[in-house]
Amino acid sequence: MSAPLLSVTGAVKRFGGVQALRGVDFDLKAGEIHALLGENGAGKSTLMNLLSGVHTPDEGEIRIDGKPVAFNNPREAQAAGIATIFQELDLVPSLDVAANLFLGRELMRPGGMLDVPAMRREAKQRLEAIELAIDPARLVSDLSIGQRQVVAIVKALSYASRVLIMDEPTAALTVGEVERLFDIMRKLAATGVGIVYISHRLEEVPGIADRVTVMRDGRVAGIAAPHAPQAELVRLLVGRPLDELYPERAKRAGKTLLSLKDASFRLARESAGWQPPSGITLEVREGEIVGLAGIMGAGRTELLSALYGTGLAGRWQGQVAVGGRPVKLESINAARKAGIAFVTDDRRGSGLMLRMAVGLNLVMSVIRRISPAGLMSPRRQAEAVRESFAQFDIRPKNPDIAVGALSGGNQQKVVLAKEILGSPRLLLLDEPTRGVDVGAKGEIYARLRALAAQGLGILVASSEMPELIGLCDRIVVLRQGRSVAEFIGGVDEHTVLAAANGREA
Amino acid sequence: MSDQKISVAASPAASSSPGAAARHRVDPLAIIVRFQSLIGLVLVAIGGVIFSPRRHGEILFLNPDNIANIVRAVSETGIIAIGMTFVIITAGIDLSVGAVLGLSAVVTATMMISGGFGLISTILAVLAMGIVFGVVQGTISTRFRLEPFIVTLAGLQAARGLALIVSGNQYINISYGDGPGLAPPVFAVLGERLFDNTVPVATIVFIIFAALATLVLNTTRFGRYVYAVGGNERAARISGVPVSMVKISVYAITGFASALAGIVHAGQFNFGSANDGMGYELTAIAAVVIGGTSLFGGAGSMVGTVAGTIMLGALANILQLNNITPATQLLATAAIIVLAAVLQSLVRRREGLGR
Repeated sequence: MSAPLLSVTGAVKRFGGVQALRGVDFDLKAGEIHALLGENGAGKSTLMNLLSGVHTPDEGEIRIDGKPVAFNNPREAQAAGIATIFQELDLVPSLDVAANLFLGRELMRPGGMLDVPAMRREAKQRLEAIELAIDPARLVSDLSIGQRQVVAIVKALSYASRVLIMDEPTAALTVGEVERLFDIMRKLAATGVGIVYISHRLEEVPGIADRVTVMRDGRVAGIAAPHAPQAELVRLLVGRPLDELYPERAKRAGKTLLSLKDASFRLARESAGWQPPSGITLEVREGEIVGLAGIMGAGRTELLSALYGTGLAGRWQGQVAVGGRPVKLESINAARKAGIAFVTDDRRGSGLMLRMAVGLNLVMSVIRRISPAGLMSPRRQAEAVRESFAQFDIRPKNPDIAVGALSGGNQQKVVLAKEILGSPRLLLLDEPTRGVDVGAKGEIYARLRALAAQGLGILVASSEMPELIGLCDRIVVLRQGRSVAEFIGGVDEHTVLAAANGREA
Repeated sequence: MSDQKISVAASPAASSSPGAAARHRVDPLAIIVRFQSLIGLVLVAIGGVIFSPRRHGEILFLNPDNIANIVRAVSETGIIAIGMTFVIITAGIDLSVGAVLGLSAVVTATMMISGGFGLISTILAVLAMGIVFGVVQGTISTRFRLEPFIVTLAGLQAARGLALIVSGNQYINISYGDGPGLAPPVFAVLGERLFDNTVPVATIVFIIFAALATLVLNTTRFGRYVYAVGGNERAARISGVPVSMVKISVYAITGFASALAGIVHAGQFNFGSANDGMGYELTAIAAVVIGGTSLFGGAGSMVGTVAGTIMLGALANILQLNNITPATQLLATAAIIVLAAVLQSLVRRREGLGR
């Protein structure tokens, strides 16, 4: 048998005291789509960075066609035929497609003028080669995320054409776009390109991968066939059976906190890509954790932000009641007055003041309470901070360091603790464990369940189906902004997925 | 970053991690940046002593009259820089301050000389005008979601235009005495020194304003909101911070500060002119940045701004004492601004926040 296109043996990588990779073997054959799965912190990004020349391994070897190679920078990896598409696409939105494809390698006319027609012609050919009809003269900012993804692929392949590494390429795509992307990947593989497909979405793997490598804690936890049972993959990913990750469910729920009956959110102005809630019926009771399931674009985030008044301008129609009383939830103030708190899915962008100290972040939602007569009370502030540190195991236990220096899991604990300090009755959570390692996930789940046991109602949106199934008492499924089904927690994943996709189970 | 420390040492949870303090030693570079303007001030003072010309063995730089001159000369830009610190901590900018100073000086002189208004009513009216000017700029900026850079650039033009109209492009001289067309003699105190002719009154105004501003920024709810808005506006809004109110308020503060500086200006120089305060906005911004306040918002301190202001004044003074040309003074100031900014950027990169 010939040597694999790309292979890694015994890769070790340390960052300071942290050992990100502890001896990883990995290989990729020509024409293969090899999925690399792992929780955040499992080491898949580090492995990708070794392959793309961003980092060099401390130990171990990378081979191409059986020959050892060493990359000192991404350009050397490209020269060896390895192209990487990072999650943040390196496209310039204000330039057109052709200009992006030729960025840094512009075609020139004699005399130093840009040869725009030649670049557009060439760009058109390359796009058509993968059967994508995008006008090369269009601005990248006018393209959908899916189209941008494809432009990034074409650009990457024009630098290097043997190995394509894709980091979570489907994270921001709609279902249709995912299918189109997969088609393109299959076509590329058929021409002999080897593709490393990095993801944490189990459900996509059977549809695309030829082989699956699962990483955990800097090691390869196992290699599986793409059609291996989900439970098997989950066990490899998490390192323990699922039921130990999630706390026990509530014994009973209390009074109704939030009740929506055929409620719709009428936007003041239509907006493409923003799915307004239209015809939602759901209830959240005291002590209950209710999940919002649905495919990308089904309107989960939109429902939460419309309830909290942070989305687009508009007004609710139908019945919206909090604590049995009808309320107008159209502004942040109204929501907070009704005892609602919200944790966004974007803690760095809209959850935290990254450069400010942990303690200052923690008290942000209770500033009024700790500043009687407008003067900050250091004593009350310290009490509030102590309360948060006692409730959530935030590490390091130092409220004075900048919150941006914390790990993702600890940042998420700070965001949660911040809102809990405000003693809400109802907590809206959007993707509460995105970018959080498994250990912190378990802690967060346990904390949420404990808070619910004290009477808090929680409405949580998540794209991770196992999380919803494991954590929630009930799951409401959204499709195109509408609530279409409701299940009891612990339901089997396929049933929920079928409802989310509008199929019979 | 605010100077406030929060202790969790008393909590049982915190005592369980003896290693935490060691692992998170404070970056020495961060300390330098936090106190960069104070360190700079000390260095400039030492340099001043070393390079000062001497007369009969006396170090001229340390002569009480010279020191009084330094702190008097910086008081107007200092007052403005104090206000500017609030704006810059919210990640905003106010370019209109110098022009509002000019407008305020002109209105002060005109009201007292041609308008026949009394001292108190003139001062209150001018301060109110400054506040209104800031509120209008802040409201336009928040209501229409315009960059404060643009809005206050327009504000700069508008204030200069208004000052030209009010003054008829003339110097409005302030003469003192009792009767119509004369200003009350007590107004001239702004150009004098108190306490045995040592401390300039303009400097006292600056120090009192700085002290009040420090208290507001560090001990009030409003001060915390200012940091929050600059730290992350969206997060602040979600946490229930009245973001628009805070933003409008900080421009009201710069408006007030500029008007105050304009009154001090008129009192010191005994006239008002539409060209007064030309370029002060840049000096003030420089002092704030040298003082360690980040143009990205969310971090900064009032003490730093005061030290930065005095440091720039002291530097200019040494160069003048040595008969070094204004051109060289500009280059020296430029170098210090760049140095301060580079230090900040290094810290951001160490924290892994900047790129």
